[in-house]
Amino acid sequence: MMSNPILKVENLHVNFNTYAGTVQAIRDVSFDLNKGETLAIVGESGSGKSVTTKTLMGLNAKNAVIPENSRLIFKDRNLLDLKEEEWQSVRGNEIAMIFQDPMTSLDPTMKIGMQIAEPLIKHRHIKKEAALTRALELMKGVGIPNAEEHINDYPHQWSGGMRQRAVVAIALAADPEILIADEPTTALDVTIQAQILTLMKKLQQETESSIIFITHDLGVVAGMADRVAVMYAGKIVEYGTVDEIFFNPQHPYTWGLLNSMPTTDTQVGTLEAIPGTPPDLLEPPKGDAFAARNVYALGIDSKQEPPFFKVSETHFAATWLLDERAPKVIPPVQIQKRWAHWLEMQGQEAY
Amino acid sequence: MWKYILKRLVLMVFTLFLVITATFFLMQIMPGTPFNNPKLTPQALAQLKTTYGLDLPLWQQYLSYLVGAVHGDFGTSFQYQNQSVSMLIGQRLPVSAHLGAQALVVGIIAGLIMGAVSARNKNNKIDGTLGILSTLGISVPSFILGIVFVYLFGFKWPIFPVSGWGDSFSQTILPTLALAASPAAITTRFVRSEMIESLSSDYVQLAKAKGLSDKEIVNKHAYRNSMIPVLTLVGPMAAGLLTGSTLIEQIFSIPGIGQQFVTSIPSKDFPVIMGTTIVYAAMLMVMILITDILTAIIDPRVRLQ
Repeated sequence: MMSNPILKVENLHVNFNTYAGTVQAIRDVSFDLNKGETLAIVGESGSGKSVTTKTLMGLNAKNAVIPENSRLIFKDRNLLDLKEEEWQSVRGNEIAMIFQDPMTSLDPTMKIGMQIAEPLIKHRHIKKEAALTRALELMKGVGIPNAEEHINDYPHQWSGGMRQRAVVAIALAADPEILIADEPTTALDVTIQAQILTLMKKLQQETESSIIFITHDLGVVAGMADRVAVMYAGKIVEYGTVDEIFFNPQHPYTWGLLNSMPTTDTQVGTLEAIPGTPPDLLEPPKGDAFAARNVYALGIDSKQEPPFFKVSETHFAATWLLDERAPKVIPPVQIQKRWAHWLEMQGQEAY
Repeated sequence: MWKYILKRLVLMVFTLFLVITATFFLMQIMPGTPFNNPKLTPQALAQLKTTYGLDLPLWQQYLSYLVGAVHGDFGTSFQYQNQSVSMLIGQRLPVSAHLGAQALVVGIIAGLIMGAVSARNKNNKIDGTLGILSTLGISVPSFILGIVFVYLFGFKWPIFPVSGWGDSFSQTILPTLALAASPAAITTRFVRSEMIESLSSDYVQLAKAKGLSDKEIVNKHAYRNSMIPVLTLVGPMAAGLLTGSTLIEQIFSIPGIGQQFVTSIPSKDFPVIMGTTIVYAAMLMVMILITDILTAIIDPRVRLQ
């Protein structure tokens, strides 16, 4: 692992006080983000991906409670200690966010050029005219054709793909070091998705920013990410490089996710799914939260939570299957094929 | 834009024609006659009817009213002899409109501020207090408020004059406040709910993610978007306020048009009923046109066509 991460998340817990009780949305999440890399956080709905990103932006709802020992270290300070005014100078400036739905995330009553210029006026303290000039450059940079003619357009005059380009331009306006993309292509159709992803990769190389990419779409992860963290029920269950997660997955939940992704040799009518639903985080289950849905669950899974087992220097998985006392299980055929491919990649013979 | 406004004005004339026609014939259904003084002899009654043209067949009366209306002659009041309706309205409407406009401005500004404050303090004590105030403002009739104001600020602590019109600005303060309470309360409630919706929208989340402060978000994004639905409320509210309030004018001895609206009906003062109805209808239509234009200015998605 690289030595000098730009962002260190340590023991992050986020609880929400609701009428029904305390929802433990994030339960002890730790990860690092290196400069210039793309970290994908993958998981199904309710796994805590979005709460993680909102916490990184200081945008959690008022009923969120973050315990004292949670730390978000960015530039030698713990972001969780910041006051609201200090957060404002971080948001959109050092850490920016790309939102999910371009149809609703732009203000319908403000000109798009102005919406892009806003972070510049706020953080660079420049005049409106200068900010609009820069907004025009940004619009060109994200591939808006004839940007000069469209700087005074309103959002309703643009298509979804164009609007998402504007949302990307807003995020990039103040040259942030970290870009958080919360399912930035989920609301777009597939061809537009590819365009936006290509754009983000290109812009990342130009600006050397780091990206935290939140998604439930593993297909998108493969093309975008350097490293992947798989989240389940408010925890990271496995993390590693993109190749390690895709070809040498160790956690049964990761197997399930990969298995439910159709591949070219998927037969018609055999779409796989992970059975069951994620646990209720009002009262998280004892032991491994995934045990109830896991056909490979061991007896210990319902009693004790698995620690992270080291697979390689960059690859860790929290599953008792990696304990030396655990019985050897045979993963799904799809995963076996992936393992075989992994061994080939490692320059070894398939067994 | 201008073409659209012209089109709307033409439509308005047509609507006015319908209003005139409907009101004219509906008035005839009312029982009794305008001249119900028991001392009148049958001859004198017939004489009066001839003078005012009420002995003619209905269609002739209707046609002559229309012809007169087109020429700006709305007839003569039966109640106030020799007072033309145009004169009557021309003297009294400006007084009511002045009072109504003051109340409208005060009410809307107060509503915009209290609504936004309420929304930003959602579900805490400030919101609760404003909620109670706005419930009171909607449910307490303006004339009760007027009487309370007269007692408090005219009698207990005599700060403001409690009656009259046209001598000083201070005379207008109490009636303005009494009239403004209800629009202020309605606007507060409306702005609050629109603002809450706007503040939870994705574009406000994005504005937060840009690093804007709550104040900047409210002023630059939330207000504009909350105003769009609020405007639809303002048109009818303005028409109601500008055409006078019978009870408030009565309490504060203000020579407005509000009273004419009401007294003309039981006394069957046909020309005045017609005149005031036309004024109200025209005012309502103009206000709705103005709010439509304002909506188009604020909301770029709305096109006037």
